[in-house]
Amino acid sequence: MNCTRRNFLIGGSTTLFLSGYFPKISFASMQKKNLIIISLRGGMDGLTAVPVIGDKRLKKLRKKLILEDVLNLNSDFGLHPKLEIFHKLWQKNQAAFVHATNIPYTGRSHFDGQNLMETGAHIPYKEKTGWLGRGLLASNIIGKGLAISLPMPLLLRGVPQNNNFFPSPDFVETKLIDQIYNEFKGEHNELIKSTLDTIRQRPLSMQIATDSDDRKKLALEAAKQLKDQSGPRVAVFDLDGFDTHAAQGGVDGAHADELEEVNKIVTILHENLGQAFDNTLILTLTEFGRTIKQNGGYGTEHGYGSAILMAGGLLKKSQVYTDWPGLKKKELFEGRDLNSTIDSRSVYNSAMSICFNQDPEFLRKEVFWGDELPDLSQELFKI
Amino acid sequence: MSLNFYRRVAFGLSPNETPDKDPLNWAINQLDTIPDLLWPGTIPTEKDLRKKYGEWVYGDREVLRKKFKNDKHAYRKAKDELRIKTGERYFELNEHAIRHFQTKYSKQPVFERFWLFWGNHFAISEKDFLAEFSTGPYQREIIRPNMVKTFEEMVQSVTTSWCMIHHLDNSESFGPNSKKGMEWGETINENHARELLELHTVSPNAGYTQEDVIQLAYIMTGWAHKWDRKNLETGDIWFDQEMHQKGDKIVLGVKYKNDAKRELAKVIHDLATHPICIKFVSTKLCRHFITDEPTDEMIKPVIEAWNKSNGNLIEIHKAVITQAYKYNEITHKFHPPEIWLMQLSRMFDLNIPLSFEKMNYTFKSKPNNRQRQLSWILREIGHSPYRAKQPNGWSDLEVDWVSPELLLRRFWFASVELPMLVKSGNRSHNFILACLKNNFEDHENMESLIENFRFGTSDYDLGQKYGVICNLPGVLKI
Repeated sequence: MNCTRRNFLIGGSTTLFLSGYFPKISFASMQKKNLIIISLRGGMDGLTAVPVIGDKRLKKLRKKLILEDVLNLNSDFGLHPKLEIFHKLWQKNQAAFVHATNIPYTGRSHFDGQNLMETGAHIPYKEKTGWLGRGLLASNIIGKGLAISLPMPLLLRGVPQNNNFFPSPDFVETKLIDQIYNEFKGEHNELIKSTLDTIRQRPLSMQIATDSDDRKKLALEAAKQLKDQSGPRVAVFDLDGFDTHAAQGGVDGAHADELEEVNKIVTILHENLGQAFDNTLILTLTEFGRTIKQNGGYGTEHGYGSAILMAGGLLKKSQVYTDWPGLKKKELFEGRDLNSTIDSRSVYNSAMSICFNQDPEFLRKEVFWGDELPDLSQELFKI
Repeated sequence: MSLNFYRRVAFGLSPNETPDKDPLNWAINQLDTIPDLLWPGTIPTEKDLRKKYGEWVYGDREVLRKKFKNDKHAYRKAKDELRIKTGERYFELNEHAIRHFQTKYSKQPVFERFWLFWGNHFAISEKDFLAEFSTGPYQREIIRPNMVKTFEEMVQSVTTSWCMIHHLDNSESFGPNSKKGMEWGETINENHARELLELHTVSPNAGYTQEDVIQLAYIMTGWAHKWDRKNLETGDIWFDQEMHQKGDKIVLGVKYKNDAKRELAKVIHDLATHPICIKFVSTKLCRHFITDEPTDEMIKPVIEAWNKSNGNLIEIHKAVITQAYKYNEITHKFHPPEIWLMQLSRMFDLNIPLSFEKMNYTFKSKPNNRQRQLSWILREIGHSPYRAKQPNGWSDLEVDWVSPELLLRRFWFASVELPMLVKSGNRSHNFILACLKNNFEDHENMESLIENFRFGTSDYDLGQKYGVICNLPGVLKI
């Protein structure tokens, strides 16, 4: 393990910060850029997805969770064998990982944690909008959010007219909506009314009936929409089941099944976005990582630091970007969790600045209340 | 008083009910006793269903996987047969029927609304095979009987129920200094302790620390299912002294002396009577019945009733209804899909659930489509009650239920599915008009919106009418 704090400091993350932001107007920036967030609910274990290689302590503490057949990334880190697509894209500089990162939340409650990963705030339930919704609003990108789930995720709230796609089994006659639209009067009906607006403006391809259990079909439709130059610019997928308190397993356990789902979605997006994949960023989001030590049920408990899985043509290069805190007892957060040395919100803020052609400083103030979030665009993304 | 009060605190009025002269009294008088479950079909006990759960997991895990470890297809076939034999595919459907039959026909619909509330406050989320075998009977046997007792008694029952202990992994929590903990090198699982604090009682507002969670988890160690080779994890709950962390514990600044199984009741007493718990749960009750963001003024009388009655749920419920009545004309509340469906079913006397004769199951083949219908509808409108995604249950906030797809699903249900649920004698336009008049002040405006289809009685015509009516702002919301 020779990855140290130094690696992080080289590369000068403050360059842009000081010189101000002058967006390049080029053909590339005229192209629509897509930002896709995959929420991994339950607490994704960064050390299972992107395991550190050759750490004796980890092996000792996780006897029943050790991975065989880890895919090779670099001398320090491997990749879970179920994350094949990321490994394939890694060869082409189209996959990268941020490690030992998390939102600034150490409370270990799913509900508070998921609330904060979506609002980007410090106090649970205080903010009613999501960082992605606020980022879109601040960038004046309206009606371009697409959620692949039945409820509208908190993450996208804060900007009006988002869409979601999770079709019903039969075709719905939207003319029924026209008949009652004007009945929605008064402030207390605003939310429903603006949602009806969104339904009325849906493209025809979304007015179909399908089996929404089939994630492949949903990802396929999302890819189709995102590929369209006038379609959505942001998509949010929701996966749960990462809370593996028991039978977490190694290569084939409960955590592996969930990673396989992530792999499936990214594979379909990659295959079907075609050229648009070059103008796309896919990032995962989770509420916390998991404890280093396995528990009584060969699972892990709620922890702190995790990892962000990234894919897409807007990545700068294949890399595991980290300020590695180490896994010795004294290096762990509260002696039990991988520490978080990078506020994951700085990754998301930088990603929004790239995809929305927006000054990261401006977004930081508009979206994250001016919290100290270094701009990582230069380190992580193509600018 | 507006007719919408009957939907605010209940499910609206069925065609053979009429508004009461004194709606507040009508509602409050429903809370003193526990109405019988009306479902004429089978109502299996929690214990019976747990036995079935045991047969299913044992059969699959211990028998089939080993027997067919080299033949994937034979394994799959045998597993499907086992599903049928143990009722793994059936019992949840039956539970939904019991639940909906109750909300549709109960003479105490206001009580039933509180039943739904508490079942969701102490939610069992989608995990293992709980929805298939356990969550329904948990709602009937753990939540329901406690609704005329104190909140503290409810928490005691819930916390030591098999369903909640399995849901939140307490059987896997070992005191590190306990006999088994030392022998096997095991430690605590914090899940149940954290949710007992966060969701069931004091909420994060109490400012507890990670150390409080750990200490509470220590107190809870030992409360586990009794494991044996045949029943696996489905054995009864008992207190296993050999798993219990020895020594004194401190939670929220209160010291609990080393006292084995008696520690839990003491800490639950303190948590369930904590002022922050009382405020947290009172707020949730007001949120459910009054409005998404209830004010302190709305909540205060509920807290007072709580304190005055030492947490007696009957008195608390009465205070909530009194407040809901008081604020009925000036607040709005959006109803989540399941309650909306129950209200439509009661107001328009829809043909759900299926008759108990037709729900009868032989354990010989897969449940048929008709038997699966209600559960399928619930899932498609986004609200399968026993499958909340997380232990905090289903949201009670409008923002969580208003999205293009979720609204479209309601249009889908009302215009495509509902017409097939209209009883043959109820297809006339006059029937709809009578139901509207019975439940809505502005029924004349509603009538005018479906006027064009007044002569139609085909499924399509009914779909056009119900599609409009059921999605009007005054029906989605009160």
